[in-house]
Amino acid sequence: MNSKVMDIKKIEVWDGNMAASQAFRQADVDVVAAYPITPSTPVVENYATFEANGYIDGEFVMVESEHAAMSACVGAAAAGGRVATATSSQGFALMVEVLYQAAGMRLPIVLAQVNRALAAPLNVNGDHSDMYLGRDSGWINVSTFSPQEVYDLTLCAFKIGEHLDVRLPVNINQDGFMSSHTAQNVRTLDDKTACDFIGPYQAVNAMLDFSKPVTHGVQTEEDWHFEHKAKQHDAMMRSRKVIDEVFAEFKALTGREYKAVESYGMEDAEVAIVAFGTTYETAKIVVDNLKKEGIKAGIISPRIFRPFPLEDIAAQLQHVKAIACMDRSAPGGSVGALYNEIAGALFNSPARPVLSNIIYGLGGRDMTVSTLTEIYKDLVKEAASGKLNGTIQRFVGVRGPELTYYNA
Amino acid sequence: MSKSIKDMGWDELVQGAALFSFEGEVDYEMSQVQPEDRNYAETNSRNAYVGDWRVEKPVFNKDFCIDCQFCWIYCPDTSIIARDKKMIGVDMDHCKGCGICVEVCPTNPKSLLMFNENTDNEEALEQWPEKSEEKGE
Amino acid sequence: MLEIRWHSRAGQGAVTGAKGLASVVAETGKEVQAFAFYGSAKRGASMTAYNRVDDKPILNHEKYMKPDYVFILDPALAFTDDFTANSKESTKYIITTHLSKAELIAQIPEIQGMEDRVFVLDCFGIALDTIGRAIPNTPMLGAFIKVSGMFEVAEFQESMKSVLGKLSQKIIDANMVAIERAYNEVN
Repeated sequence: MNSKVMDIKKIEVWDGNMAASQAFRQADVDVVAAYPITPSTPVVENYATFEANGYIDGEFVMVESEHAAMSACVGAAAAGGRVATATSSQGFALMVEVLYQAAGMRLPIVLAQVNRALAAPLNVNGDHSDMYLGRDSGWINVSTFSPQEVYDLTLCAFKIGEHLDVRLPVNINQDGFMSSHTAQNVRTLDDKTACDFIGPYQAVNAMLDFSKPVTHGVQTEEDWHFEHKAKQHDAMMRSRKVIDEVFAEFKALTGREYKAVESYGMEDAEVAIVAFGTTYETAKIVVDNLKKEGIKAGIISPRIFRPFPLEDIAAQLQHVKAIACMDRSAPGGSVGALYNEIAGALFNSPARPVLSNIIYGLGGRDMTVSTLTEIYKDLVKEAASGKLNGTIQRFVGVRGPELTYYNA
Repeated sequence: MSKSIKDMGWDELVQGAALFSFEGEVDYEMSQVQPEDRNYAETNSRNAYVGDWRVEKPVFNKDFCIDCQFCWIYCPDTSIIARDKKMIGVDMDHCKGCGICVEVCPTNPKSLLMFNENTDNEEALEQWPEKSEEKGE
Repeated sequence: MLEIRWHSRAGQGAVTGAKGLASVVAETGKEVQAFAFYGSAKRGASMTAYNRVDDKPILNHEKYMKPDYVFILDPALAFTDDFTANSKESTKYIITTHLSKAELIAQIPEIQGMEDRVFVLDCFGIALDTIGRAIPNTPMLGAFIKVSGMFEVAEFQESMKSVLGKLSQKIIDANMVAIERAYNEVN
């Protein structure tokens, strides 16, 4: 725990950025190396303020780019420290090369990623393009829906990634502005409770352990690359057990429950949408409204995007008749990633729901209660007829002529 | 020593492809132990024989050597063997024949010269050149 | 659910005001939300900020809102912003202006016939007199607690003190006076 304790209220009004900064502070991080970018800038600014005011015992390193930020994180983590950083969008894109290094070197770095559209055209607002860009980088990817969840899951991230059975970097995603700049009630833990929950950092193969001189970032060529990638994938797949355990421990401590797959109204749902981020919470309101009208609607979200909870999702969608997979990222010439994931999850199961793909909310375009209601009403028609109303893919909320692709 | 890395499956390798330099813990002063007595790990590059990469080899002529240690400092493969600041010879298992030691040798004539790999060392020493009159060699 | 939309210029403290209001309201045990649209807008550009207040956790993340209250922090925005957009029959407007209520309404057709729902005060004048800078956010909050009846002025001032905690005592005291004056002057 940092030597100087911060006096925080049991309920603070924090935006998602402050929630991430405070979780970093409470985690007693050894090194934060960062290069700020909107909308994640305040994560770093807040942390720098804590440091300037004496609340941070660790190091804060200013670097000259996001590539350098993640490189410094890799160095510090390989040296044997607890490490974290924050970024968004273009900055995340610049980090990508080093993200793969961090994962391949099995360094449990925590990244507060505030999701934002990728240029061009330039836009600082939120969509999931950057989250999708990093999905195969070997990082555990967690989706959050509110500032409270950013706080809780950032604390959990250290405990998950650093677990000796895991040792993988963890990316905590939150929606740019919709979460990062939206202040809401956040139930906090005091510094000691939070730090004790995470526990002390355990170094593995640390470069600063002079009794075991070690080389990180080696060249393997064909001889060992495949074996190491296999081992890395295996660690990722097995991390699910640790994730579940950490979530259970967190629930015992706080009463707040997290699951690899979050769902609402799915017990009897005949129509469902699948979506990441803040859309999940807004959809809960719509589900409640529709249930009152007698429509059996549900919402489901992979809390953990990687390792992908394929079996859990398939199990929860077995009795649903029509599903819209909602991707908040430009699909770049195919169906959205979430559509592929869900279709893949269901293909070897008995369920054959009508499955459509909605592209929405690009560049921060609002997803409203009213639009979500329309989407559910379309699903009701598809559930009744047993076939798609139109094509597999459609864009929702875009100005201009209707945009639809792929006939079933 | 444990199982060779060559026989290991994915489940047995060190995570993150980290490679240790030595077997076991280094609980002693490494600088006080000569390389041949150190417990290098299998994956340490010292265990990689690269002597057959050479086309030309350096031959050492101790008659002219002033033990300045230039070759020892500049050798990119730590293949110059020295003891107590005295040049002894070249580690032919790791020397790749780059010739840097010859380039940096300041004596006249040089104390290290490159010869064809299959030239006998005794023969090479017999062919050693005289002191050169040209300055700036 | 109580919803508020702030019309302001970047730099006039709407985001700080919205977050400050949220913090004070959260002290009473309510659930709050404060957010803004700014994109990459620079100081002086027109922007909006938002509050939601409810008894249960706020799940709604849509930007769309039919506000119960609309705050206009800059006198000119009453003429240039579409501040009555997405309004309800009951929406109340609190507008910064040096004009009287009658003079202002006479110049803005959208709010004619809404005399009972339009409230005015000179947040700039009050801020300049008390704080010494034309930052209209705390006077607006003083006016809001009067119009909404949500808090007693003394109770609100106490809570605001902790929100303003990092500022100097002199500035905090000036803000307290500004809140009280706004509370008394809004009409």
